[in-house]
Amino acid sequence: MVTLPTNRDENWRYANLRPLAKARIDAVAANTSSNPAIALPAPLPKYEQWVFVDGRFAANLSHPAPNSYASLLNARDAGEEFAAMLDAAIATEGPDFALARVNGARGDAVLHIAPPDGAEALIEVTFVASAEASAGTSYPRVQVHAGRGSHVRVVERHISTGGADSMVNAAFDLALRADATLDHCRLQNAGDRASSFDTLTAHVGERASYRLRTVTLGGLSSRSTILVKLAGRAARCEFHAASIANGTQTHDMFAEITHAAPDTVTRELYRGIATDRGKLGFNGKMVVRESAPGADSEQSLKTLLTGAGAEASVRPQLEIYTDRVRAQHGATTGKLDDQMLFYLLSRGIDRRQAQTLLQWAFIEDAISRVDCAELRVEIEQLVAAQLNEVSALEGLLGP
Amino acid sequence: MSASPNPLLKIENLSAKVGGKNVVQGLSLTLKAGEVHAIMGPNGSGKSTLAYVLAGRPGYEITGGSVEFLGKDLLAMPAEERARAGMFLGFQYPVEIPGVNNVYLLKAAVNAKRKAAGLPEVDAYEFLQLVRGKMKLMQMDESFLSRGVNEGFSGGEKKRNEILQMLVLEPTLAVLDETDSGLDIDALKVVARGVNSLRSAERGVLLITHYQRLLDHIVPDHVHVLTRGKIVRSGDKTLAQELEKRGYDWVLEVA
Repeated sequence: MVTLPTNRDENWRYANLRPLAKARIDAVAANTSSNPAIALPAPLPKYEQWVFVDGRFAANLSHPAPNSYASLLNARDAGEEFAAMLDAAIATEGPDFALARVNGARGDAVLHIAPPDGAEALIEVTFVASAEASAGTSYPRVQVHAGRGSHVRVVERHISTGGADSMVNAAFDLALRADATLDHCRLQNAGDRASSFDTLTAHVGERASYRLRTVTLGGLSSRSTILVKLAGRAARCEFHAASIANGTQTHDMFAEITHAAPDTVTRELYRGIATDRGKLGFNGKMVVRESAPGADSEQSLKTLLTGAGAEASVRPQLEIYTDRVRAQHGATTGKLDDQMLFYLLSRGIDRRQAQTLLQWAFIEDAISRVDCAELRVEIEQLVAAQLNEVSALEGLLGP
Repeated sequence: MSASPNPLLKIENLSAKVGGKNVVQGLSLTLKAGEVHAIMGPNGSGKSTLAYVLAGRPGYEITGGSVEFLGKDLLAMPAEERARAGMFLGFQYPVEIPGVNNVYLLKAAVNAKRKAAGLPEVDAYEFLQLVRGKMKLMQMDESFLSRGVNEGFSGGEKKRNEILQMLVLEPTLAVLDETDSGLDIDALKVVARGVNSLRSAERGVLLITHYQRLLDHIVPDHVHVLTRGKIVRSGDKTLAQELEKRGYDWVLEVA
């Protein structure tokens, strides 16, 4: 029996864990219907589509490429593959891994993406949550094993249907061999009542580059646990995260990036906006081990509070065990800049539109790095909708 | 010059506080259509405060007097309404707004004004043509349009951008707060050309400046000297030249 994390656990203080306590821990029963009435986002050109409903593969909604590097494995085989891939095992003890362990025990098939050396792959994975939490939990699981010099783009979406108070507990295990590049874009756009939990581990080899972009918009409670190990010399991680919490939403993130080898590089940027009574948490921990001289780490964490009851907790943490390191870290929580606001008002722009524009300008930093044009447009539209002002931003959006 | 019954701007006995300090103290000034007035004064005389009070920046407490703009009570209007009614403030230190691009700001500003006047939104193509023309006049590269508002602009580029916005918005009254500061002579000429191109019988300009050199290029109809929050001396353009020769101490002595 796994002990689930609580708010007393060090890295879980700001997460909204109430839905977790209420949800049924069993996996949602297999959906035997043909998954009608699910409105999927427009497929991205050139990407193969893999769709999972309530954690189970939906063949009728999916379009894998012929000779795809992606396949479905059972949990046990996937585990063996993964262990064989790693140069050093990633620790999986403690509360940060509790949800991933539950996923491993209860989940169904694993989407296994394994492009061989030098290969390229474009894969879009959509997770749809349709069942109520009282019917069980969805357990999506993805593994990416990127071969030497391969280039993988993974677009991962989370949506829910019918306003369900669904519970998702997702797990991602990523391993990049030398010189591999993984562009991973995650868009969490679940419904207002949904809960979304995920655990991601990444093992980045020599000169390999892991680029993670996350956009968190949906869910009553959303919590991401991201654990990246820069294991090989000159391994690189870029992590850009955007989050907008409205109403009574809570978006919490814990990201621990460990520099374990020389000349490893991290670029981390977080921009969060909390409106109404929204709550944001971002706990960004950087560890530079003794084995990582020449490490270079930059972290910029900013939140903007625009609601009277909005809250944010931004917590940069730095643990350095070597002298030869370059680290730049900054964290701020603030309100809209009065000077910028007055500048826009003085040009005749109405107050509400000016406020929206400034929020847009603030969050844009974190989404401008999404390099798939179609996805970028979609994200911008969704961000504008989340700011409740699509019309105010007309002309700013689009390619 | 015949007295116009309806001045663009009529400031009467205006007093304002900022941070608990009286910065404007009993200032009166009337500016008619077609006129360019220069307000000169030493640092700390209240020049920028006057500009901000006219544009409606929060944080300034009006403790007395009145301001009419086109016959309406200016001080009762929020900043955005003042702009839509035809007031423009050229900032001394324009703020950078990364993430909002210049062309978007220009278009949003023009449309806000048109909407207030009951006009339809501007045609996108015609608008771009218009902006391009004005940019040429201001010797600005078109790449500025797609950059964030003032983002990474040099001091001179920011000032040109202020004048560009003014030319596109075609205000009835432009209040230019030390638009000349930090400009080299070439940039000063470009900025002056922009301001002069806007001069017309229907418009007015209030130039706030510390130095006389701007007034060699934008010749004012009236010059006022501001010290300690009030106008102590008014005259024509020769007053500016005299100030340049004799310094502000001279005015302070006379006052």
